[in-house]
Amino acid sequence: MADLKKVSQGARNSAFLRWIYGNLTCFSQEHMQTFGYLAAMLPVVDELYDTDAEKVQALSTYRTFFNTEPQIGTMVVGLTVGLEEARANGEPLDDDTINGIRAGLMGPLAGLGDSIIVGTFIPILLIALGLSTGGSVLGPLFYVIAWNVAMYFGMKFAFDQGYELGGSAVEALVGPQSAALRDSIVLVGTMVIGAVAATWINITTALSFQFSADSGLVLQDTLDSIFPKFLNIFFVWLCWYLMTKRKMSPTVVMGLLVIVALVGVLLGFFDPGLSY
Amino acid sequence: MGISMVQAILLGLFACLASLPGMGGTTVGNYTLGRPLVGGLIVGLILGDIQTGIIVGAAIQLVYIALVTPGGTVSADVRAVTYIGIPLAILAIRAQGLDPSSEAASGLAASLGAAVGTLGTVLFYGTATLNLVWQGIGWKAMDGGNWATIKKTIPMVDFVLPWISHIAFSFIPTVVICLAGESMVGLMKDYLPMDGVAMKTLFTVGSLLPAVGIAILCKQVVQKPLDWVTFAFGFILAAVMGCNLICSAVIAVFFALINFKIEQLKLMRPAAAAAGDADFDDEEEEDI
Repeated sequence: MADLKKVSQGARNSAFLRWIYGNLTCFSQEHMQTFGYLAAMLPVVDELYDTDAEKVQALSTYRTFFNTEPQIGTMVVGLTVGLEEARANGEPLDDDTINGIRAGLMGPLAGLGDSIIVGTFIPILLIALGLSTGGSVLGPLFYVIAWNVAMYFGMKFAFDQGYELGGSAVEALVGPQSAALRDSIVLVGTMVIGAVAATWINITTALSFQFSADSGLVLQDTLDSIFPKFLNIFFVWLCWYLMTKRKMSPTVVMGLLVIVALVGVLLGFFDPGLSY
Repeated sequence: MGISMVQAILLGLFACLASLPGMGGTTVGNYTLGRPLVGGLIVGLILGDIQTGIIVGAAIQLVYIALVTPGGTVSADVRAVTYIGIPLAILAIRAQGLDPSSEAASGLAASLGAAVGTLGTVLFYGTATLNLVWQGIGWKAMDGGNWATIKKTIPMVDFVLPWISHIAFSFIPTVVICLAGESMVGLMKDYLPMDGVAMKTLFTVGSLLPAVGIAILCKQVVQKPLDWVTFAFGFILAAVMGCNLICSAVIAVFFALINFKIEQLKLMRPAAAAAGDADFDDEEEEDI
């Protein structure tokens, strides 16, 4: 068994780097990440097979449509490098098996990837926003470093896990354990998003009524006494409602907000109170 | 002070790197250079006003905070928001004589960013469509079955040819709009007084827009009505109890840990029952 083929470290690195750089560079609506995948698998296939005909045939496996969250999807690339190695050593893996695994992972990993991205990217970004108060370079620098370091090592880990453990690694990721993890990540996300809605939005009304000389009502104060920053939470809920229950796109919602703002300004509900 | 040709060219190059199917890659290009906060720093460096750049970037970032690349679908892209919106917003803030750190400046930046953002969607579809031509070249090579050709063509198609799409749909639009920007914001100042309905509306929209960004996030995390209670909990931490974001995040992690333990306990029961014959390496196995 000494003559078992093994993908060299160099070819693996090459596949990894090609994927993390090129997963979306040649994106189209029709084929999405397919070309990134082909480009990533090319050095591996080139190394594993001897004849050109075998190489062409092996690479053709990856012509099948591929699209997932590209960063967590690194794991699938690592996995197929492992599978391709097994196939080159005579394991009975046909194109359908490999593509079945790929297709089966795209959906769950996209869902998992999105919640992991929301769970890591949003907090890093929010802390960076906090650090950038007053135009401090600390904020963007923190984001650049924290995000790229986290993602590079995260993707490297995913790729290596995929390569070494094969299918079982990914099963662990999309199995019941991961549901508990995802649930908890989403819990953090929801709470932090709530805190952001209170911190970073500032919607106030300028409306006030004067009943007599010494009695009046400033609507903003009344709202604050019922629920502080009520308008923030109301507008977030409204936008959410329009997008989920009314199936509007974010762009349409933004358009509606322009109308709301115009009407609000005309009625005196909104007034930024600015002048040159 | 306007934007010089050299500055516009630099902005155009960054637009190529940063857009969604961008030439900087997903992690470094779209998720780093494309973020308005980072873009604010870069645009600030290019235009020689880092502080204003970052303030404007942060304000626009808030609207586009949720702009992640969802696995299944593709949403709007940030090249226009970041590398057209931020330069225009900086010009506009200067032209209006606003204090960059004021609420008004942030509102103006958010509105301009969003207005330009719709353009980004058009540019995105343009790029993706032109990429089909390069992919066609790739398929042809694959069909030809000549390995030497394939080996040359595929990296070419994935890494090099899309630059042409970006010159057409990222570089040229950015350069042209940025160069025209000065006269555009000048016109705005002359014809739209700050206390008129148009400008009041513009600034109000700027204060409302971050709600859309947050709502997109809510769309991803709120699955059932009770999740709004979790959201309100976080909201109250910040709005009523005065926690900053880092403190709120720590408290949230604490609750998440409790939740994770409860979920694991729930999982353990059927797993323990099933572990009788399966070779599940569960430490709790001897309990049954």
